Order: sequence, then C-alpha cells, then structure tokens
Amino acid sequence: MAGNELIPALDPMPVPGPLWLYHVLWVVTFLIHILLVNAVLGGSVIAAWAGTARADRRRTVELLLRVNTWAIPLSITFGIAPLLFVQVVLGRFFYTAALLVPWWWLGLLGLLMVGYYLNYLAKWRLARGEGVRPWLVLQAVCFLLVTLIQVVVNLLHMQPQRWEAAAGGLAGALADPTLIPRFLHFLLAALAMVGAMVAWVAVRQAARGVAAGERQELEGMAHFGVKFALYATLLQLIDGFWLLFALPEEVLKGFMRSGPAAMIPLTLGILAGVLLLVFLAQVHDPLAQGGKVRRALELVVAATAVMVITRHQVREVYLAPARAAEELITTAPWGLIALFLVIFVAGVATTVYAMVRAATDRPAPGEQAA
Amino acid sequence: MDYPIWDLAFGGGVLIGIVAIAHVLVSHFAVGGGIAMALVETLAVRRKDAALRQLAYRSSWILILVSTVFGAITGVGIWFTIGLIHPTATSALIRTFVWGWAIEWVFFILEVATAVAYVATWNKVRPRTHLLLIWLYAFAAFMSLVVIQGIISYMLTPGRWLETKAFWDGFLNPTYVPGLVMRTGICFFLAGAYMAFAALREQDVDARGRLVRLMASFQVVGILVAYGGYRWWEVALPEPIRALFLGASPKLAALAATRSFLLWALTAYLVLVLFALVAPRLQRWPVTAVALIAAFAFFGGYERLREGARKPYIIRDHMFSNGVLVSDIERHNREGILAHARWAAREDDGSLEGKGRAVFRAQCASCHTLDGYLSIRRLLASADAAMVDMILEIMHEQGNAYAGGALPDTTTLDYPAMPPFVGTKEERRALGVYLTTLVPAHVAEVRHGR
Repeated sequence: MAGNELIPALDPMPVPGPLWLYHVLWVVTFLIHILLVNAVLGGSVIAAWAGTARADRRRTVELLLRVNTWAIPLSITFGIAPLLFVQVVLGRFFYTAALLVPWWWLGLLGLLMVGYYLNYLAKWRLARGEGVRPWLVLQAVCFLLVTLIQVVVNLLHMQPQRWEAAAGGLAGALADPTLIPRFLHFLLAALAMVGAMVAWVAVRQAARGVAAGERQELEGMAHFGVKFALYATLLQLIDGFWLLFALPEEVLKGFMRSGPAAMIPLTLGILAGVLLLVFLAQVHDPLAQGGKVRRALELVVAATAVMVITRHQVREVYLAPARAAEELITTAPWGLIALFLVIFVAGVATTVYAMVRAATDRPAPGEQAA
Repeated sequence: MDYPIWDLAFGGGVLIGIVAIAHVLVSHFAVGGGIAMALVETLAVRRKDAALRQLAYRSSWILILVSTVFGAITGVGIWFTIGLIHPTATSALIRTFVWGWAIEWVFFILEVATAVAYVATWNKVRPRTHLLLIWLYAFAAFMSLVVIQGIISYMLTPGRWLETKAFWDGFLNPTYVPGLVMRTGICFFLAGAYMAFAALREQDVDARGRLVRLMASFQVVGILVAYGGYRWWEVALPEPIRALFLGASPKLAALAATRSFLLWALTAYLVLVLFALVAPRLQRWPVTAVALIAAFAFFGGYERLREGARKPYIIRDHMFSNGVLVSDIERHNREGILAHARWAAREDDGSLEGKGRAVFRAQCASCHTLDGYLSIRRLLASADAAMVDMILEIMHEQGNAYAGGALPDTTTLDYPAMPPFVGTKEERRALGVYLTTLVPAHVAEVRHGR
C-alpha cells in the first residue's frame, strides 16, 4: 500500500512471550483503563455542566469530584499497561504516530496534571463554599483535549499511508473522516456511563433511608443522571453508525468479512446500546425503579467491554496491509511470565483487601480513630 | 534513526533531563516518604504522640499532591519523552524488560490505591488499618524502585546480557545492587528533607525540636547509606567507565568536575543536617531549604554523571545514542545509513548537500541541533572543509574500531563521547559538504585566504 515505505524497520529484538498473551493482557487492561477514563471524562464534563446552583446539582458535583480523586490516578496507572503492550506489539507504528504530533503528545501530560490538580482545587473550594464552575469547565476542557490527542495518535498509528500528510502539519494529522465520530464515540460512552452511575449512587443513597429534603436532592440527582445517560446513548446510536460508515472502505469491508469473531462483539455492542436506551426510556421515577437504573449501568459497562474487543479488531484490519510482511520473532520466557502473573494476582488481591478494610474498618463509638 | 526526528531547539537530551530530574526528585521522595511516614505514624500510635501524628498527617498531603499527581504523571512523562527522542532505544528497552515493567506496574496499582486511601481515611478508620495502608504503600513504592533500578542500571552496565540477551543477566547487572543501596539512601534523605518542612510547622516548640531532630536523623542515615552506595557504585563500574571521571587524569574533565561537585554537595548537605541534629530548636525554613537544594544537587549531579558516563552509548556496548547498533556498523558502511533511515532520507533531494542534510538528520540530529543545544553551527564555527573531512574520517575510523570485534576502550578514542560515523563514502562526503555550508561564510573566506 502507498505510504508503507515510511514504516520504520521492525525491531530486531524478539518479542518476549507469545503474541496472543500480549493481546489478551492489552485488551483486559485497556478495558479497566477505559472504564476509569470514562469516569474521569464523563465526570468532569457532567460536573461542569451541572454546576452547583441547585442542591441536587451540588451533590452531584461533590460525588463526581470524590470519584475523580480516585479515578484520575487509577486511570493513569491502568493506562500504563496497555501503553506497554502497544509498544511491544506495534512499537514502530505507535512511536511514529506520536512523533508526528510531538508537542501535542507531550502536552497531554501537562493537561492531565492541570486537570488532576483542578480536581483538588475544586474540592477544596467547594468545601469552603466558594464558586467552582470556571474550574470545573477548565478541568473538563483539559480532559476533552487529552481524549482528542489520544484519538488523533490512535488514528495515525493505524494508518501509515497518512503519515506523509501528517508530517506536513497539524491539519494533515487531523484530516481523518473518522476523527470526529470516533472522538464523540468515546465522549458519549463516558457521559452515558457516568450519567447512569450518578443515578445509581442516588438510588443507593436513597435506599438507606434519608430525610425528605435529602430525598428530594437525591431524586433530582437521579433524574439528572438518567437524563444525561439517555440523551448520550441516543446520540451514541447515531454516532456509532456514523463512525462505522466513516471507516475507510477497505477497513469496513475487511472488518465485515472477518466472520463471527468480529460480528458477535459488534452485534452485542449495538444490542446492548439499544437495550440501554429501552431501559433508560422506561425510567420515570429512578428512586422507585432502582433495578432498571442498575441494569442501565451494567449495560453501559457491558457495551464498553465488547466495544473494546471490536476496537482491537478494527485496528488489526486497519494495519493488516502494513503488517502483511511482518514476521515477529517470539521467545517464551515462561518463568518470567509466571512471576508476573503471580505478582499480579497477589498485588490485585492485596489492593482489594486493603481497600475493603479502608472502607469498612470503622472505630466503635468512643474508640480512637487514626 | 529510522523514525521522524523531532526538531527541538534546546535539544532532546535536555528535555529528557528536565522531565527525568523532575520525576526522580519526586519519585524518590515517594519511596522514602512512604517508609518515613509509616515509621512516624507507628511511633505516634505506640507513644500516643499527637505531634508525630500531625507530622504524618501533614506529610501525607505532600505525598498525595506531589507524589501521586506530579510523580505519577512525570513517570509516564519519561516514557513519552524517551519514546519521542529515542524511539529505537525505547523499543529495545521495552522488548528486553517488558515483564519487569509489567511487574512494576502491579506495584504502582497498590501504591496509588493505598496512597489515596491513606489520605482519605484520616480520622475515619482504626489506627491499625491506617498503618496497614501506609506500610503497604511503603512496600509497594520500594518494590517499584527495586524493579526500575534494574532497568536504569542496565543501560550503563549491561554486563553479561551483551552475550546472553537474558532478562536476568541484564537486570542483575554489575551496578544493580550498589545503585539500589545508593538510591535507598537518597529516598531516605529526601523524605527527611521534605518532611522537615512539615516538622517546622509544629507550633509547640519542644515538639518541633523533637520532630526536627527525628527528620535530621533520617537524613543522616540516608546520607551515609547514599554515600556508601555511591562509593560501591564507583568500584562496581567497569574500568573504561571509571577512567572517564576518576583517577589522576580523567578523560572527561566535565564529568570529573560533576563528580567533585556532587561529593561536595553531599558534604555540605551533611553539615547542614548535622546542624539540625545538634541544634534542632535553631532550625528555620531557609536552612531547611538550603539543605534540600544541597540534597537535590547531589542527586542531580549523580544522575548527570551516570548519563554522561554512558556516552557515546544509550545502552552501553550495544546501541549508540543515535540509535545505531554496534552490530550494524559494517552493514551501514556497506549499504549506507540512508537505506535504513526512511524519514531522514526524505531530506535527500538528489543534491550532495541534500544527501548530507539527510545523513545529518539520521546520525547527528538526535544530539545536535543547528543553533540550539550542542549547536553544530557553533561547534564547527572555526572549521573549514578540510577540517570537517578530517573529523569525519577519524569518526569513521572509530567505527572500524567498534566493528573490529572487541569493543574499544572509548577513552582512547579521539571523540570518546561521540558515536562513530557510519555510512558509505559518498554519504560521508555529502555530510562534509552539508556541514561546510553551516560554517559562517567569513570563517570559510579567512581559511581560504590563508
């Protein structure tokens, strides 16, 4: 294919481990990463939208800032693993893509840092009763830009035939018909997930039994969340098809010819989206229809999971011509891989144990707290 | 070499340096701070000491705001930066140590989760759970150092990996343990140096004295461990590297000066800390700030020394700083560098000067800028065409020395910090022509006149 002459040579060092293992770990860790990213992106946009003028909105913003205190560092940490695995399997494509927009790629870190600190600033100001709207808007802009940069680099690394144009300037890097629908695809998924999450948290809090005034706040919060999730999902269905048909013809055809392995996740994803819409449309009184709100949240997560598989498969189709002659040499350092897996299981188990203890070990009345 | 080249006026190496130094100053505190806070809070609980508890509380905010935010993002930032400046080397490191990094990542998860939980659960959980969180954090943070030290030290002393290409041979390289000991000491003293500010915020004068003395003790222990580790590291270095900056007549004077600077910085730091230990009540924040700067100076000096001692390699004895593999020298001489540098070759417009520009970008531009950092124009300001040719000839000969089988002692070379020139005769001639066009016209005229 024209443009492939700019693809750097394959790294002569062998890949230490079977490729299937890298793909499995890549997809699994990316799923965790993207769920956390959804929380950060959707949370920051919804918080900026909500503002704090009304009590229920203020409550929503407090929740989202609290969630982002955890979600931001964890999304960065969980981003490390897929970043590692993409470099192992597709290093020469990935590095070149980043080098075509180097300042943007590096600037992403600055935006992350500003967005992260703004979260603490907003929390602090909110606790002091001061205004936070401008800071929330700025934070949302930071995370929107981070998403846009990620989408740009992702699209570039899959399309070596666009590199020549991208090397000519930013306009060349942005000139991709799938850029906007792909960006919106991530954004709308994030909004739908966080909208459903806000509603579900309100349902859970109301179920614990609260005073009438507080219940009204929770009701407002739940309605707000459901409405956001509903509109985002509605737009997502339109955008999803826009993205699908904006794909380059050979990619779309290649993907459609990939058989059941590709069609099943895609169909399940679309089905989950439609079901999500049905569930959300039926919710009129979220606090009384907690089951439906919970189903909606589960469906968003399920749709994200299958769409992560689809995304991975589409990438393979995009890159197939460029990698046709690629012969990766692999070795099998099973001892090392086993060591990683043991540490991974032990590390995750320890983390879960520590978090559960932190969430549940409360001092008895009169007992000293830390 | 085979990737697009990012033109940075201030140089890619400087950018890596800025990001890396910013990161290590924070990340080593994140490690040492975890251990220090765990010890401080344990003492606070056992002794029911409110001042100690307050010290841990105040320090935990530094930990979360500086370490998990700034530290985590600059940590990813190093990856981003080296991927942009040295993609070939980054790829080689990833292929060699992917499972090491994956293991480190597991410790990151535990580290970040426990750090956020630790700060979020003050006054909410029982003390034993709070202590569990900070001790788990300290363990995870230290383990991340244990892992990353293997990769950092490998780049300078790959040891038996050069023959076996085995993970453990690269990881457990000759300077792994000495470097780990030194970095552990640095973690301790940085923790003490940062937390000394939190100690000074204590209102009670007696309690403040106790806290200042405790933090000074941390720093003294850290300084002594770091010094011992540093000396051990020097001993563990292969002789050709030691010769660059040690001995009666070091080969690279700038590196020898850096060594001298960092040892004096450590001495000054020790003196300041001993003052805090002996007279804690007299301690004020300006003195603490100067001590912190001295600590930074030692650590920054060491990192500069380690990076400088690696030249002309990025992975010693394996890959040069421009991404050329030692094992590829003969091939490049035979086939030409531009046959293996697709992006740089785009500069070749068919003219000799264009080809030379392309060769420059392929081999030189990863370190040299035109007018900024390590400006080639400035370096060649007093050279004429004959001199440029002679330099390139010598650098080409250096390549033959590397390609000859046994790796040369870089200190015996005319340009010990530079990778050799590789490529065909025509490419060398083209590079000479291009470099001559960079020399200011008046210099060329004067030379010609002579």
